[in-house]
Formats: sequence, structure tokens, C-alpha cells
Amino acid sequence: MEGSFILPAIVLVPLLGSILTLFMGGERQKYARLVALVFALITLGLTAIVMLGGDDLSQFDFSANWIDSAGLKMSLLLTVDGLSILMVFLTAVLEVVVVAFSYKEGDRPNYFFTLLLAIEVGLMGVYTAADYFLFYILWEVALIPMYFLISWYGGPRRHYSAIKFFIYTHVASLVMLIGIFALVFQAAEVNGGLIDFSFAAVSNASGAFPALFQTLVFGLLFFGFAVKMPAVPFHTWLPDAHTEAPTAGSVLLAGVMLKMGSYGIIRVCIENLSIGAQNWQSVMIFMGLLAMIYGAYACIAQRDLKKMVAYSSISHMGLVMVSMGCLTTTGIEFAIFQMFAHGLISAMLFMVCGMAGHNIGTREIPLLGGIAGKMPVYATFMMFAFMASLGLPGLIGFWGEFGIVYAFYDWCVANDVIYLLIFCLLSLLLTAGYYLFAMQRTLFGRLTTKIDFAHVHDVDKIEMVCLGVLALLVTVYGVWPDLALTMINLYSFPGVI
Amino acid sequence: MDATVITDIFGSYSPIAPMIVLIIGALLMPALYFGFKKKAPVSAIALIVMVISIAINLIMLTGANYPAEYASFEGLFEYNAFSGLMILLFQTVALITLFVSISSTETTTLHFGAYNALLLIATVGMMFIGEANDLVGIFVGVEAVSISSYVLVTMKRCDSRAAEAGVKYVVIGGLSTALTIYGISMLFGSLETLTLSELGPALAANGYSWPLVIGLICMIAGYGFKIAAVPFHMWAPDVYEGSSTPVSLFLATGSKKMGLVVFFKVFLVMFVVAKSMAGFDIELIQYIFAIMAAFSMTVGNIVAISQNNIKRMLAYSSIAQAGYILIVMAVMSEYALVGGLFHMFTHVFMKGGAFLIVGALICVGIGEKITDYNGLAKRAPLLAFAMMLFLFSLAGVPPLAGFTSKFILFSGAIFDADGSGVMTQWVWLAFVAILNSAISLYYYVRVIKAMYIEKPSKDASGKIKIPNTFAIAIAVCAVLVIVLGVYPGPILDLCADAAAALI
Repeated sequence: MEGSFILPAIVLVPLLGSILTLFMGGERQKYARLVALVFALITLGLTAIVMLGGDDLSQFDFSANWIDSAGLKMSLLLTVDGLSILMVFLTAVLEVVVVAFSYKEGDRPNYFFTLLLAIEVGLMGVYTAADYFLFYILWEVALIPMYFLISWYGGPRRHYSAIKFFIYTHVASLVMLIGIFALVFQAAEVNGGLIDFSFAAVSNASGAFPALFQTLVFGLLFFGFAVKMPAVPFHTWLPDAHTEAPTAGSVLLAGVMLKMGSYGIIRVCIENLSIGAQNWQSVMIFMGLLAMIYGAYACIAQRDLKKMVAYSSISHMGLVMVSMGCLTTTGIEFAIFQMFAHGLISAMLFMVCGMAGHNIGTREIPLLGGIAGKMPVYATFMMFAFMASLGLPGLIGFWGEFGIVYAFYDWCVANDVIYLLIFCLLSLLLTAGYYLFAMQRTLFGRLTTKIDFAHVHDVDKIEMVCLGVLALLVTVYGVWPDLALTMINLYSFPGVI
Repeated sequence: MDATVITDIFGSYSPIAPMIVLIIGALLMPALYFGFKKKAPVSAIALIVMVISIAINLIMLTGANYPAEYASFEGLFEYNAFSGLMILLFQTVALITLFVSISSTETTTLHFGAYNALLLIATVGMMFIGEANDLVGIFVGVEAVSISSYVLVTMKRCDSRAAEAGVKYVVIGGLSTALTIYGISMLFGSLETLTLSELGPALAANGYSWPLVIGLICMIAGYGFKIAAVPFHMWAPDVYEGSSTPVSLFLATGSKKMGLVVFFKVFLVMFVVAKSMAGFDIELIQYIFAIMAAFSMTVGNIVAISQNNIKRMLAYSSIAQAGYILIVMAVMSEYALVGGLFHMFTHVFMKGGAFLIVGALICVGIGEKITDYNGLAKRAPLLAFAMMLFLFSLAGVPPLAGFTSKFILFSGAIFDADGSGVMTQWVWLAFVAILNSAISLYYYVRVIKAMYIEKPSKDASGKIKIPNTFAIAIAVCAVLVIVLGVYPGPILDLCADAAAALI
């Protein structure tokens, strides 16, 4: 056991918190939210140490022996680099925000916060693990609490959505598991026998993987990650899960869980299987463009605000896919940037749309109208979130889209397929369209008569702080994107080009 | 501890020392019950005997100065790392079964002495199979187990389902015995030996012949009934449903493992040796086992989905689990065998734990239907949590034991231990197994959903208090399911030693 203990602490502190809240039944359950908040804040503090720790991220590496028998070697390895550090930060921030935001949760609150913290354990673990066995375990650990979160605290069709989410993502991760087996065993052959599950062992051997092997295994792994992302046509679990999940669940699901997919594609597929990546490049670009356009079109048709935002997530993750598909340094960098940007923005979006349900009583767009006059603060945040998401310059979303279009343009020119840019631009246009259309129908115009305004209340203080923190981050990173880009530059991309 | 303690006491009989203790205990049981007329003291003595036997085995397995391969009865029984590990497995199963039988309301009170005696005898039979070096030894061991378990199944006398189960079990068991003995005779006729270690070389020297192939098929079918592999599985759900839950537990976790041990000791060794001797072609046999494995998993899992009785569901799930372990027979590599042995161990605790919970709930008057489990999480939170652990472990959800063992077992189908990295021949089998894991999740989650999400019916409310013995056994299983998942190192080392000793 050696190295810094900060990363293990980032994984274990939420675990401790979730165990503690689990046993806070009965009288004590009203304090569960405080305990959860404290633990989430400690985790955020630890993350801040890593964020402010300077350029040498290897100082935070942690390693310990775990299983070393029967020719198998699995170790407890935790690291951060330019790819994962922003995701770790995003997870920590969003966890604090959702825990604070869910302070009103009245139905068995202790279990609710247990589940939220348990999800953070899995997410933090996935983003920091540097051993395939550990990575896979934590990947699944993030899944189970989300299932319970949806099926206990979700909307009317929660059971159906929860089981659909569970089966979809579980099948995907099992297929991914076969891919991991193949990677590790092929690496074991190259390295001379010992079956070492660490990332390093595989990436050291990856140069010697035969081309056919790379293509096949890339397909397996890519399927596993693409379902999580989700890429069209494997996306159908997402709108259901989002619509039925409680707001906190949606925020974590869209904000950080979807990024597990794209993180995996970069970390596992592209890093290790460069020939495979080139062979699958056109599929990635195609699926990305398809998701962008299909997601945007589907948004226009939605009546439920939350479902609209869910489809917009599909569309925005399509951007990430296109960007990764370019397989250039710029492409990968801005894919990471967009993952971070979308994490912050979609968190705001889902909070705003969730509040439509809590504070107004309905999320149906046709029932709403003219609520800007009744709820000015709410309307401001909603406009802010929508504008950020459609890529208004000065906010973080702009840099993500700008960079990706730039990377994609480069790729198109290099491959002589410049007409593909039309699809990319079309989706950006549609994005602006559906957001403005939705805003026009809900916030402005004549005040609706279809809902009773007796119990409608505007954003309260805690909700305002939560949204305000996110809005601040969106603005700061939007004005000064270098803050994130210098972090991303620490990622030494192996270079496919 | 120094193993010379054992050799000093038992002399040349020391390989069968763990069995000797149990046989003495088994013979005493009926007399003791006649004297005490109470369950508790008799069970206590049975448990003490079992613990002594386990201690002896552990000393022999891990202690120093024990002759590595020490045979008695002119080589008929031999103790090595493999047999030691398997004996440990059977003893663990028997210990759990004996322990919970004290307070189970399903077990007989009239013949409790005989019940304990039969359990011990059945365990001894299994242990002899672990050590047997000869087809005759194996056959006799299997019969000792079968005949004892026929009686055990029917001991719930006033239940018509138990009678039906007993009849089915006897008829099917008789058929399987007949097939086996016929197969053995054909095998002896063509290979002229019954010693396990000589079968492989004889096969390589003689090659396939019609009598041999018929004999092999008969034997595979006969022992296939024991492990309830498809297409020899029809008896299992009825028998598990009909017999009392401790007995179902014993059959599902113990008797099934016995069948698998026979498969490993007879067929695996024979074909691996034959292949290594003369580059003998065993692909056909491998495919037979692969198809058996694939069908067992798929049929077991798919039929389990439609079951409403939890015991039947668990029975089908254990058919599927046997299918997973049969991957070892298809791949026939030492690495896969390590995974198979490890999965046999974890299966004891997860399937055993699930059966224990079913049995405990029957004792407090909750039925066997899945709908009877509605709202269990409110009435018995810890019990429901333990059940969730067992079911998730069976489905292979990390970081539980079932995941870790499946991880190694399935990887055995992909990893080529000969050193050429990824092996493409059996990747499809790994695919089938992994897809089956996903299917199985569906019906396990159904039970979890019933426990955690459904509301309890009106007449069933209030906290549940299960008997203490069950609570202790369940707690031990639950802890092991987590520990074996997170820290499998020591047991994996034992499995690796055992696999090396066998092949």
C-alpha cells in the first residue's frame, strides 16, 4: 500500500456517509440530510485539494495489492489525470448540489441520501480506478443504487423505467466485460503469462494487439459504453429513466452517469485500440450525428419538459461522440470539455424542470404559459439554463460546441466530406429552435388558466443557492475556458493520428 | 498445526480419518435420539462430530508434514489438495444443514435421529467421492448419497408433494444408477481398467470404439441426472419443492456439487490426460459438454422467469448454475477448473443462503410464493437485505462473491491457458453465459422488487422473528458472500492448488 490517500478518501468518504445515513432511521431521519451534506462537502473539499494540487497529478496515485493468486493479479489502483480530474470535480460538485437541493425529501429521507451517496461512491470509483477489475466493480456499484432511487422515489411509471434502465445497462456492461476479458488476456500473452488487470499492463501491451482483434474488441467495448452514453439507437432507456426518476436522480444520471460511457470510450477503447478506433471511426461519427439530429427533432415534439431535456441530453452526447470520433487531439480535448460543460448545464436543466413539477405541479408544456410574471426568479434560471445549453457565447456550452464544430470541420476537410458539416450545423440550429420554442410556450405569453396558482411558489432560498452555484460555474468557465482546458491538457493523449 | 497428529492416531487409515469420525457419529445418532427424545442434544452431538471432522480435514489440508498423496486401501482412496478442498465443501454444506435442522419446523420430529444419521451418511458418501481413485469407489459413494437422500426427501411424511417428489426422485435416481453402472461396464470392457488415472492413457492407446462411446454417453447421462443438467433436469424442481427446505438446501448445494466432482474426476482428467498423451482429439466431447452447458444455462434461466414458487425458481436457477460450471468441462483447462471450483464454493453460500431464508420464513408461516414476500423489507429489514445480497450474488452483481467467481469462471472460456492469450473457440460460450447472467437478473430482481417495493397484504403485517439458528446461519452466509467477493485471495489459492493436484 503506497501513495497518497486522498483518492481512496474521495471514494471512501461517501461510502462512510451512506452507511451512516442508512442507520439513521426513525427519529433521527430528519438529520440524515445534514449528515449527507457534510460528507458530500468533505468529498468536495478533498477534490479541491486534487484540483489545486498543481500540474503533477501523479502525486495522487494510490496503489495496494488486492488479489494475487491463481495467476491473476488485481490491484487497488487509483489515479487521476487530465481526462478524469474534471469528471471527479463535476461529480463532487453535483453531489453537494443534489444533496442540498433534495432537502425537502420527506419519504424515508435517510434511504434517499444513502442512495445518493452510494451513487457517488461508484462514480468516483469509475473515474479514478486504474485497474479493470476495480473499474468494472465500481461501474456496477453505481448502477444498483440508481435502480432503487428510481423505483422508490420516482414517478408513476417508476417500476417499469427502473427495471428497463437496470436491464439495459446491465446487459451493456456484461458485453463490456467480455471485451475487458479479451483485452486483459491478450495483454497477458504479450506481457508473458501473468494476468494483470491494471490499466498500465494493458496499455503497455496494446501496441502488439493484432488488427482483427482490435476491431472486434473495440466493437464489444464500444457497445457497452455506447448504451450508457447513450448513443442512438441504444438510447430508449434514457427518456423513461429521466422522466420517472426524482430530480436528484436525474441530475446525477444526466450530469455524471452518462459521462461514464464517453469516459470509457476514451479511456478503454481509444487509448488501447488505435487500429480498432480507426476502423470504427465512421460508425462513431455516424452515430454521433444521428444522435444529435434525432435527439433534437425528438425534443421539438415533447410535451413533458423533463423528457425534452432528456432528449436534448441525447443530442448533446451525440456531439461528444462526434468529437471523439474525429480521433484528433483537438477532438478528444473538446469531447472532454463538452462532457464537463454538459454535466453542469444538464444538472441545471434537470433541476429547473424538476422544479416545474415540485413548485408548479406540472411539467406539461401545453399546460404552462406566461409563468415568468408569477415566478420571475424561476424564469430567469430557466432562461439561463436554456441559453447555456443552446450555446450562447460567454457561457460554458458555447466553448464545447465551438470546439467540437472546429474539430469536426478539420476532420471533414481532411477526409473530403465537408458536406457532413451541414448535419452538425442543422442540429445546432434545431437546438436553438426547440429551446426558444419551449421557452416561448412556458415562460412568456398570456398567463395560463389551466393550472391553479394557489400553491405555486417561486424558487426558495436553498434552491436559489444550488442553481446559483451552478450558474456561477457555467459563467466562470464560459468566460475563462482556459481554467478547464489547462486541466484537460494534462491528459497525455496517446495519439491515434 | 502439524498433521502428524492425524497420522499418529489413524495410521494408514488417515486419508479417511474425517469420514471415520462421521461414520461413528452416524451410527450413534438413532440410539442417542432414542435416549434423549429431544432434537437439541442430538443435533448438538452431530454438530460436534461434524466440527471434529472439519478440524481434521483442515489440519490435513493446511497443516505441515502431511504426505502430499497418501493413499489407503491399496490406493482406492487418496487424499490430496483437490479431495481436501471438496471434502471441506461437503462438510460446510452438511454443517449448515445440520445446524438449521434443529429449529426448522419442516424436519421430522419422529425420526430425527435417523434424519441426522442419513445426513451424515450422505456427507460421508460425498467425501468418499472426493477421495476415490477408482470408478467403483465413485459409484459406491454416489449410491450412498442417493439412497440416503431418497429417504431424506420423503421424510416430510404428511405432505403429498413430498411423496410425489420422493417417488420421482427414486425412479429417476434408479434410472441414473442403471445407466451409470451400464456405462461403467462398457468402459471397463473397452479400456480394461477402472482406475481413474489409467483411464486417460488407456483411452489414448485404444482410441474410440462403439462400446466405449456408448459407455461414455451412458455415464454422462447417469451423472448428468445428479447435477440436473439439461436434458436430465426434470426432477430437480419437483424434488426441491417437495422436500423440506434444509433437505433442498443439502441437495441443491451438496449433492449437485458431488455430481460435478464426479465429472471433474472422471471425464476431465481422462480427456485432458488423453489429449496430452497423444494429441488425442477430444473436440467432439468438448462440444457435447459445451452444448449441455449452454442448454442448462438457457433453459434453467428462461424457465425460472415464469416460476411463481420461490423454491422452484431457485431450483431452475441452480440448473442454470450447474450449466455455468459445466463450462469447465467444455474448456478443459486448469485455469477454468480454478474458476469452476471457486464458483462451487461461492454457490454454496449464495444459494444456500437463499434457501435458508426460504426455510426460515416457512418456519414463521410465510409461504413459498413470490407474492408472499411482498413488503418483506418492512417486516424484516435485515432478512430482506440478506436475501437481496444472495440474489444479487447469484445474478453476478459486483462486488459480491457470485460476481468474482463468475468473473473467473467465464474468463476461463476466453483465456487460453496454453499461453496464446485469447482463445476464440469458446468465446461464444462465454457470450451465452454472460447473456444468461443478464436474463437471470430479471427473475432475481422480481423477488427483490416484491420485498422492497410491493406493499404487504393486509393480513400480513408486523415484524418477523425467525429462529436463532437460521439467523446465525444466514448471517454467516451473508458475511461470506461479501468477504469471498471482496477478498477471494486465500480460497482462490486453495482452488488453484486443488486444480493443480487434479490435473
